[in-house]
Amino acid sequence: MAPLTDENRWQRLVEECFRLEAGAHSAIPDPAQDLIETGVLDSMGWVSFLRALESATGFNELGALLTQRRPSFESIFQAFKDAQTASPSRETDLPRAGHSVRGTGVFVVSSSAVVGSRKIPSEEVDRAFHMPLGKLRSRAGIESLAYAAEDENELTLGARAAQQALQIAECGVPELDWIIATSETHRGYPSLAAQLHSQLLARENCGALDVGGACLGLVNGLAVAQGLIASGQARTIAVITSDVHSRTFKPGQVAGEFGGLFGDGASAFLLSAKKGAAQRHAYALGEFFFGCAGQYAGAIRVAHAPNGNLDVHFDSEALSRAAITRLEKVVREIELRSGIDRSTLQGLATHQPNPRLVTLLAKQCGLPEDKFPVVAKSFGNLGSSTCGVALDAILQSTRSDPGEQLGPIFTASLGPGLLFGGGWLVPA
Amino acid sequence: MTKLLITEITRMGPAFCVIGLQREKDKICSVRPVTASANSWLHFPYQRGDVLQCELAPFSGAKPHIEDRVSTHGFQKESRVPEQEVVTYLRKAEIAGSLPELFGCALHENRNGSGLHAMPPEPNRSICGSETKNLRLELCANELRATLVLSSGEVLRDLPVVDRDWRDFIEAALVEGRGANRVARLERFLNSQFHYKVLSCPHHFIRLGLTRPYHDLCWLMLDTLFPLPKKEWLEEF
Repeated sequence: MAPLTDENRWQRLVEECFRLEAGAHSAIPDPAQDLIETGVLDSMGWVSFLRALESATGFNELGALLTQRRPSFESIFQAFKDAQTASPSRETDLPRAGHSVRGTGVFVVSSSAVVGSRKIPSEEVDRAFHMPLGKLRSRAGIESLAYAAEDENELTLGARAAQQALQIAECGVPELDWIIATSETHRGYPSLAAQLHSQLLARENCGALDVGGACLGLVNGLAVAQGLIASGQARTIAVITSDVHSRTFKPGQVAGEFGGLFGDGASAFLLSAKKGAAQRHAYALGEFFFGCAGQYAGAIRVAHAPNGNLDVHFDSEALSRAAITRLEKVVREIELRSGIDRSTLQGLATHQPNPRLVTLLAKQCGLPEDKFPVVAKSFGNLGSSTCGVALDAILQSTRSDPGEQLGPIFTASLGPGLLFGGGWLVPA
Repeated sequence: MTKLLITEITRMGPAFCVIGLQREKDKICSVRPVTASANSWLHFPYQRGDVLQCELAPFSGAKPHIEDRVSTHGFQKESRVPEQEVVTYLRKAEIAGSLPELFGCALHENRNGSGLHAMPPEPNRSICGSETKNLRLELCANELRATLVLSSGEVLRDLPVVDRDWRDFIEAALVEGRGANRVARLERFLNSQFHYKVLSCPHHFIRLGLTRPYHDLCWLMLDTLFPLPKKEWLEEF
């Protein structure tokens, strides 16, 4: 947490947010200058600037504190100072400009990913959904999909990923204090976390928790695990994602333009308060932030229809627009909050609704596409496991070259709602 | 002569923008009287619910402000209808329950900060009524903003509130003569009594509007919030 007395850091963040609103090349105004009266910003621009600043700093009361104050940089800095004076211990509400590039003392000890063992060319999926041959490839950029074999399901895929992660970390199952599972396709009870608990033969007093969020599930799970470890309630936690869409979004139940995009996979991450002995390259979790952009709530809705089918409302154009805009916004927010320049990244573990959107996102972010591991193109959209498989791919790549200078990793994802969340990992 | 039921009086800066309802055969539609030289009025001594006699000439207003009509003579007040009746008529005029239906086009979020906008000339109108499931007003650095849920479940966040009566009410709540902690007291009102008074009102209704193109974008705003605030509410906080 940047101390509030570090005014240079606030200054940088305020200036960056100001330039987002006023234009990249705008001159920085005099601190006392009334931004509205002098026409630098109109009232909408002023509020928009403050909202960006609230978002980047996590200081959500900024706008409220500036009521009856002059719209100027000076007032903003004064509000920061007043907030600190009023409540010096409430660090989380205070500006985190130029947050030091460090982790939070929670380490990713190991990771693993698996995908459904049947590799299906996208044309076969086109055919199954009665779509023109080549549609998934040409429109979405999907070359093949990973489908679960008959003997595979959310439990087997998730358990396999978890066992691999435990093995890599040389960590015994009894060391686990919590199993946190997430899946957008597993329905029924015992829940996936409970089933994984039994399957892995975890200690009876190891907790089992399912978190939701659909494609945002992994980021939700990592944040929950981080909180449990940081508060001292747990030492080692397995966060597991597992999704088998091929049995949920079946031809005849949903349109191919939607159901055809999805594949099956799982991922697992072992988190601990200490670095693993077997680890040459370790990453520490940074911070996470979340939100819900409800204006996109209508873009995707999935519900059970009375006839047992799935009632899917899927506005592909609105959803694509939302995905790109929001993911780019999340990436920018991570950059502002962490102070990490995106050009230094090892990679980005983001949600990948389809490969075309990954290309567009890379372009919007001004980053080479190879910073985004190939997931959706080869396996399809894996739901909560997309981010997991991508994050595992980046972590694996760092292990293959021990001499390489490691860069930070950003993770960002979305879920229906439109839920959004993101965070960062830094080399430990 | 045209009969116009005044339903909207909005305020941005020193000028007022006015919208009314006009009956056209079996339809009720919104009409925005403008002067021959400007889109707004510096003086408009009427209230919502007033029925005015006026003369309106067609005006080739740029899309999406297709409701613009030039007022060629002054207004003459003919009668007045109560607030709930105004809402009854508004419910028969332009109305939508979801984001894409509001203006017949996609609405985009501000990539940098807050707010939603449409891209002209995509919208096919500039005003639309809607029911809401929930609504919250807040002050952000002297600016009144609304966040609301449409009946579709879609959330519109940080909309500038330009409703003249609500803006006047907020300003009146903050005048120095009202004593200490005015902002905190107003915030408490907006977070508590407001909810009860507005959302439980049978004629709770909103109208959303689009600004005129500004840097090539039309921004979404809360033009009207019914019920209108009552002066006596100021005594409650």
